[in-house]
Amino acid sequence: MLSLQSVTKRYGSLTALDGVSLDIAPGEFFGLLGPNGAGKSTLMSLVAGLRAPDAGSLVLDGRPLAAGGGSARAALGLVPQSIALYEDLSAEQNLRIFGELQGLSGADLRARIDEALAAVQLADRRRDPVKTFSGGMQRRLNLVAALLHRPKLLLCDEPTVGVDPQSRNAIFEYLERLNREGLTVIYSTHYMEEATRLCSRIGVIDHGKILALGTLDELLTQLPFEDEITFPATPETGALAAGLAGQGTVTTDAGQHRFRPAPGHRLSEFFALAEARGLPPRLFTHQRPTLEALFLHLTGRTLRE
Amino acid sequence: MRTLLILIRKDFALFFRDKTAVALTFIIPVALIYVFGQVFGITRTDTGPTGIPLAVVNASDNPGAAALVEALRSEKAFRVITERTLPDQTKRPLTEEDLAPLIRDNRFRFALVIPADLIATDTFGLRLKILSNPRNDIETQTVNGLLQKAIFSNVPELHGQSLQARAREFIGAPELQQFNARMARAITDAFGGDAAEVEAALAAGDFTMQNTSLARDPGEPAAASRQDFFSEIVKIESEQVVGRDVKAPAATRVVGGWAMMFLLFALSGSATSVFEEKKAGLYQRLLSGTVTRSQILLGKFCWGVLIGLVQLVTLFLAGQLMFGIDILGHLPGLAIMSLAAAAACTAFGMLLAAVSPTPQAASGLATFLILMMSAIGGAWFPISFMPEFIQTIAKFTIVYWAMEGFNQVLWSGDPILRTLPTLGILTGTAALVMAVAVWRFNRGRIFE
Repeated sequence: MLSLQSVTKRYGSLTALDGVSLDIAPGEFFGLLGPNGAGKSTLMSLVAGLRAPDAGSLVLDGRPLAAGGGSARAALGLVPQSIALYEDLSAEQNLRIFGELQGLSGADLRARIDEALAAVQLADRRRDPVKTFSGGMQRRLNLVAALLHRPKLLLCDEPTVGVDPQSRNAIFEYLERLNREGLTVIYSTHYMEEATRLCSRIGVIDHGKILALGTLDELLTQLPFEDEITFPATPETGALAAGLAGQGTVTTDAGQHRFRPAPGHRLSEFFALAEARGLPPRLFTHQRPTLEALFLHLTGRTLRE
Repeated sequence: MRTLLILIRKDFALFFRDKTAVALTFIIPVALIYVFGQVFGITRTDTGPTGIPLAVVNASDNPGAAALVEALRSEKAFRVITERTLPDQTKRPLTEEDLAPLIRDNRFRFALVIPADLIATDTFGLRLKILSNPRNDIETQTVNGLLQKAIFSNVPELHGQSLQARAREFIGAPELQQFNARMARAITDAFGGDAAEVEAALAAGDFTMQNTSLARDPGEPAAASRQDFFSEIVKIESEQVVGRDVKAPAATRVVGGWAMMFLLFALSGSATSVFEEKKAGLYQRLLSGTVTRSQILLGKFCWGVLIGLVQLVTLFLAGQLMFGIDILGHLPGLAIMSLAAAAACTAFGMLLAAVSPTPQAASGLATFLILMMSAIGGAWFPISFMPEFIQTIAKFTIVYWAMEGFNQVLWSGDPILRTLPTLGILTGTAALVMAVAVWRFNRGRIFE
């Protein structure tokens, strides 16, 4: 559906995107995961036509995506990172303006406004100025404002920044439903939990380059370990951590030991060692590796750095 | 076109939701124009100053000196003070020694001393002493002018007395008496009248003979106007060529300038809304759809022109209600001129927004430029009061040309055809400034 070939974008001496190539299939929920300044918003802005690339091409459904115009963009919907709404106007007025600018009118527009407001539980606040809404309500309205014209591809640029958990869940559920109904979504975030929950495929981006690309399982296989055990770093657990040398890697960070067994290591051996030292099982947390670990592995930095 | 109309309608909806903006655009300018009108007296037919405190100490027993004090009392520009109230609430006449301390205390800023030796004997002329605290230059010039007018218009015989005194000094009293008697006889031989009466008038310094039988028609009272003689020395025939039929001349001349200043403030403030819309990410949303940069800028421009037109027409209509300016009689010409002025002002506001890095910078720059343009463009006072080079610079301001246009329509009553050059300058300025603004917007980062 969307194809980026060797796309490069520079701001002066800073290369924000460096030869990025990417193909998004129809119906995908594609996650773009990376820290602030990685190039996510630049990539979104190029796809949305807000900027032109310095090199490379962007094609949507076989038609080039040109900056500053082009009919191909009618198939796009953008949910900007900020609350891109007229806060002095009502929810209904905002949707009417954005709907009309997308070519909608009359009964069709009214029906879509009703549908959109109902979908994000704002029907009873339709005539209230947006500035009287909570942050979560504004985020929800910000989302549906991009969907009135029923785009084929929705670009969500960190759409849950500053949102309470309840509104975040509502946004997730709505996006998941739309994706099930066939909407292709590109979702940029620096929250690995969001990418993990929502995205069928994830691109890890940093310093303008796609470092890894694939499904969650495919990405995690790039790590040199399959399991991870964390336990508190205390005088009682110090001997255990020291005894694990040679059986995998042990790192200590923020009062926690993190043990990543070497390939072939049996977890039962670890728990036998712990039991031998009289350490209770409740101290240990076993988990699969995360995207955070993958990012650390790929870049040497955490996602929040 | 549909997109443009939606964007313009959106800006109107936002504007009318913002009660502060509505007040700043319509209500406050109307209120300020009303206050300015009262301050500058454009509702009065006689627009000079009134009630300036003037202390007068008259130490002379000359009747002409008393006449001078009365003449000053009759000037509406002055409130003549001749007494001082003491701490025990009793009053006594002011003395010359009182004046300087009271002026320092700002009890009054001007004082006139008429000394005992009012009529000079060592030279021709009168002795008068003026004390002042010239804190306000315009006020000082006005007071000096009015004092001179009062002296020369009301007490011409004082100058005659001075001449008599000087002659007495040169040739002696008996010879002067002989001279006056011969002169009186010569006058009455030639023109008739009573020689004794004319000689007495000459001796009193009244060379106008206004109080003699010589100057009177039979049956006319003795106290004829002394001003008649002087008013006929220079005959000025005054004919107003333009603006004779203007109903509220003072208001018609100045309201356009004030309206322009408020229009510039309103429109430059509106233009800076592009910063708010950028900050909110609205341009990302609009531009990611089917809206183009040109449509956004053109929408802003058209909205600015329309709201500017509404504001100008509102202010002029308020001028009609408050000051009686004839607006309805010139409505088509005024509407077209207002449209051109609003276009130029909107373009100016857009350029400010385009060249400024922040809304704060735009606001500061706007205040500076608008006040400058209003001052030198003639919105506050006539540009003929200013140095020549400022008058030249004035012609490069929107305010100057807008005021020219409004005066052409409202004052001269010019038909639209005759206002075309002014309209051309305003619309040409709007086009040029807007072109630069669009170029700057497209090169800047407002749309990224």
